[in-house]
Amino acid sequence: MLQTVKPKNARSKRVLEAREPKLVENEKTSLFLRGTTASGIVQDALGDLHSLKKPHAVKFQKKNAVHPFEDATALEFFSRKNDASLMVFASHSKKRPHNLTFVRFFDYQLLDMVELLIDGETFRKMTDFKNAKAGIGLKPMISFSGSIFENNPTYAHMKLVLLDFFHGNTVSEVEVEALQYMISISAADPTDGVPNPKIHFRCYMLKTLRSGHKLPRVELEEMGPRMDFTIGRVHDANPDMMKQAMQKPKGQEMRNKKNISVDGMGDKIGKIHVNKQDLGQLQTRKMKGLRKRGREETNEEDDVEMEDEDDVEMGDDDLPAVSPKRARV
Amino acid sequence: MASEMEVDEPQKLPVNVTKPIPLTFDLGHLTAFDSNPLPPLTPANLEETLYSTARDSAQLIINQILTTVALKSTQDGVYATLPDPITQLPREKPVPKPKEPTKWEQFAKKKGIAAKAKDGKLIYDQATGEWVPRWGYKGANKGVEDDWLVEVDESKQKDVNDNPRNLSRAERIERIKKNEKHQKKNEKHAASGAAAAAPKGGYKNRKRQ
Repeated sequence: MLQTVKPKNARSKRVLEAREPKLVENEKTSLFLRGTTASGIVQDALGDLHSLKKPHAVKFQKKNAVHPFEDATALEFFSRKNDASLMVFASHSKKRPHNLTFVRFFDYQLLDMVELLIDGETFRKMTDFKNAKAGIGLKPMISFSGSIFENNPTYAHMKLVLLDFFHGNTVSEVEVEALQYMISISAADPTDGVPNPKIHFRCYMLKTLRSGHKLPRVELEEMGPRMDFTIGRVHDANPDMMKQAMQKPKGQEMRNKKNISVDGMGDKIGKIHVNKQDLGQLQTRKMKGLRKRGREETNEEDDVEMEDEDDVEMGDDDLPAVSPKRARV
Repeated sequence: MASEMEVDEPQKLPVNVTKPIPLTFDLGHLTAFDSNPLPPLTPANLEETLYSTARDSAQLIINQILTTVALKSTQDGVYATLPDPITQLPREKPVPKPKEPTKWEQFAKKKGIAAKAKDGKLIYDQATGEWVPRWGYKGANKGVEDDWLVEVDESKQKDVNDNPRNLSRAERIERIKKNEKHQKKNEKHAASGAAAAAPKGGYKNRKRQ
């Protein structure tokens, strides 16, 4: 059984409470660390990814004698200590050069891992691009280009891992001005010569120009880092654990709205309920002789009244009067 | 491209992008999925191709946000209301479980005993006509502890040498200890239920290939 720690003061109590499972979760913290051997390229890449993920990121400065695919218990320990559920581990060896291992955790336990090997020749770090960078902690736009992300299960998995890693916090509103940069992840189609094409990771700053239309013209400017990944080893998630991680809290799932359906043609059909019509109020034919007349009423007021009544009568023919709340679909 | 950007007053720059397969969007994650195959990549045209596909996607995401999503302009700026994300991503921690009922709560529910209303810490003291705390310093639950004269209750007196002054306090401390014991028992019970439902995964429980 897990040891339960009783907080000794109010501050540590707050910290422990912040780490408890929540209905609506906070942004995942990412941890960046390196192994005993790491090349300059992979260290630069690690630093750049860290700066993209700030402020919900922790970077270790020391070397760690860990081999994630051989023994990940040390990483689980780091995850628990730092309350981090995303991790990038940088290492470099002759067999696996410039290697970034993306690790995900669920409840401080290893969920899945994937190795992405950086192409050393095409790598460019952020500072190689001399331009303004996106503000810290902004939610990026992300694009996945290439049919391989739909067709190949490995690449489809990679899409979800990278989306989970970079999407930031789930928010209900975003300031339009804050849409400052885009992460573009693309891969060519597989061919016989290249069955596993590289994943191209690019980051662009957005520039919007006046186009003369209502919508702006979007131009991009690369801000780095520029990385081309080859997929290495993959550790898949335990299905039971993944199922538990995908659980949606009750009361949070989408409720299907009552009385609204979509037919085969894709048209939205709403069913509305209308109160019984009061036939006593029905407007029948108007005759001068039947008109009720108050003494004070002037002719002008009469005219206005008549117009109103006409409107109602026309409405009655097509559609009965409906309370606006019900009719909105 | 460069010439386009240098133009101060652009004459109708194109803002529409047509793709053979239309893009799918997940605006909750500000994400676009372009399932059109990329044009063949060669080292010479790589960056250019990636740039143009990225630009198209960016343009389409921005178009999608500005046209389909409710925009709200406030003093701080224009805000786009994002829909719920479509792509479901794994949670960080399991869904919190409802608090396990304590033994008393179970009993009270069975017997239909409603919880006592919380009517504050202060209580009216009839004798002195003052409001005093229910418990704690100068609390009303002290009974005869502070009285200058204490009656000897022989039924409570286990030993002849017991100080009758301390018996009331000892009894109160005993009650507190008993309550703490029950609290711990309830906590332990709740934790054991949570531990049984803990995920079976992680590095140690992995399937070996």
